[in-house]
Amino acid sequence: MSQIIISVGREFGSGGRVIAEELAKRFNIPIYDRHLITEIAEKMGMTAEEVEKYDEAPKLKILSRRVNGYSNSIEDNVAEMQFNILEEKAKKGESFVVVGRCAETKLKKYPALISLFILGDTDKKVERVMKLYELNEEEARHFMYKKDKKRKHYHNYHCTGSWGDSRLYDLSINSSRLGIDKTVDMLETYIKARAAAMGK
Amino acid sequence: MTAAQIFAIIIFVGMFIMIVLDKIERHYVTLGSGILTLIVVFGICMRSGKAVTDTLALKGFFTKDFWYQVTESESKGINWATIIFIAGMMVMVEGMAKAGFFRWLCMKIAFLVKCKTIPIFITFMVMAAVLSMFIDSITVIMFLAAVTVELAQLLKFNPVPMILSEIFCANLGGSATMCGDPPNIIVGTSLGFSFFDFLTNTGLIAGISLIVSVVFLYFVFRKELATEGGAKVDMSKFPKPSEAITNKKDFIISSIIFACAVILLITHATTHLTVASIGLFIAAITLITSGKHALELLKKVDYKTLVFFIGLFIVVSGLEETGILKLIANFIGDISGGDVRLMIAIILWVSAIASAFVDNIPFAATMVPIIQSLSETSGVPISTLAWSLAIGTDIGGSATPIGASANVVGTSVAAKNGHPIGWGRYCKKIAPATVIVLAISTVYLFVRYL
Repeated sequence: MSQIIISVGREFGSGGRVIAEELAKRFNIPIYDRHLITEIAEKMGMTAEEVEKYDEAPKLKILSRRVNGYSNSIEDNVAEMQFNILEEKAKKGESFVVVGRCAETKLKKYPALISLFILGDTDKKVERVMKLYELNEEEARHFMYKKDKKRKHYHNYHCTGSWGDSRLYDLSINSSRLGIDKTVDMLETYIKARAAAMGK
Repeated sequence: MTAAQIFAIIIFVGMFIMIVLDKIERHYVTLGSGILTLIVVFGICMRSGKAVTDTLALKGFFTKDFWYQVTESESKGINWATIIFIAGMMVMVEGMAKAGFFRWLCMKIAFLVKCKTIPIFITFMVMAAVLSMFIDSITVIMFLAAVTVELAQLLKFNPVPMILSEIFCANLGGSATMCGDPPNIIVGTSLGFSFFDFLTNTGLIAGISLIVSVVFLYFVFRKELATEGGAKVDMSKFPKPSEAITNKKDFIISSIIFACAVILLITHATTHLTVASIGLFIAAITLITSGKHALELLKKVDYKTLVFFIGLFIVVSGLEETGILKLIANFIGDISGGDVRLMIAIILWVSAIASAFVDNIPFAATMVPIIQSLSETSGVPISTLAWSLAIGTDIGGSATPIGASANVVGTSVAAKNGHPIGWGRYCKKIAPATVIVLAISTVYLFVRYL
């Protein structure tokens, strides 16, 4: 199989990460999500927990400054290291699935990129978050809102396009319509078609 | 308050907020604010063509004084001398970096001290200070921090204390000369001071402070700098300094050009060549000698910074032409009650505290007309206020990770190489060092100028 890079952007609670994991399994390729944190932690000589604090997190603007592409913010540097690791892997011709990390924009120049965005109905997402994190409805809504806000800030700070804007992705899909399993089936078909088109 | 004054303040405050928010690149922010100042403040509110021509200051290019000046004079509006000088130095520094000069110098010094941690720590601090006297601190720290990380891996020591000390000393060195730090270039060219004026005033303060800082930083960092497994160093495994040189001919030429720049700057009060002439000459000679690579060097010039300066000078002129800066000067005069000691302390410490959190370039550009006005009304020599401003803005920037460009570049290089430096880690040792130097400077200014 020629190189495929599947980027999965997702709303919190939409099942995006589970979908990404399942796609990785079906195409038998590695998935990079939190795995990148471990790789960076090793490079930075920090624990994975320490790096996680800065992962996909927007920086506090008042406490940071950027000069000629250099930034004092650890969040910015962790983000940049993740972008660089992904770029290296893409450049080497590796096939992989990547969750978040602005991959749809950062890896846009690679023809092997297939960019997806998974969204969901608010009620369904709340239901899922309540079950997964054992929260009541109000807590789940608040948690979801906070997570999505953080992802949006992070994305929009590092990219020019807006997070979740369908024009940024090859395919945006509401996982609440078909459910997670059938959404994966549909995406598998789409990716296979794309891979076949790439191979031509 | 007039409409022109209100708009000038709104544009200025808006520009500062936009710079801090970092949503739009800062050169677009200052340029946009500059255009607004020209149209709204000077055009619509003041209906003054003279304010526009004074601010654009294009006539200056065609005067002899701009290039060759027997008696130093003050300038208004866009400070083209600063812009041309910075552009010239950028071209020269690109040429030096391409030839491998900075890496060679770092490795050479490390070898001269036999790659031992503490001697490297001390010599790199001194080197950061000396190089920053002539070259922008961003370039100095970019190379020093990278070599420090490399040496730290080989010698197995923690590079963070060394990088922090280098940043601090680079800012200190920058305060010593007229071309060391952008605020000094602005102060010098706007108020008509020479390289030598700076060297014999702020330079002395920086010299004394450097000795104290090296001792202070050594004591606070000595435990962290201890190498793993003793001090045995196998230098044969280290990259040789000569390996840093990409092209011997280019290396020799760039070294000669750098030496020329230093000589021209030191002697500019005697030769009467202005910093604009020196900048232009250095850029021209670098481009001529680099032959077919000239275009490549020109492309690497940081035009964004130059545009940032142009916009900034226009916005500050808006405040100046509308009399806002005079009001601020009168306010400082009033609260100090004419007490020179208090005036110096206010300028030095307010500049330092402001520069620790906001970009010191716009701050210095704004403060220059203020101290000019303050000097006229209070009778305090402009030089005394100028040195207070220069030291305050240059040194104050060291206190936090965002206070100066060198801090941002140094902490970023460290983070990218696996050594993230947060606010706490940075400020714990460097903020006290900053306060010590500011205290020394205050005492020095009181003793020497009062």
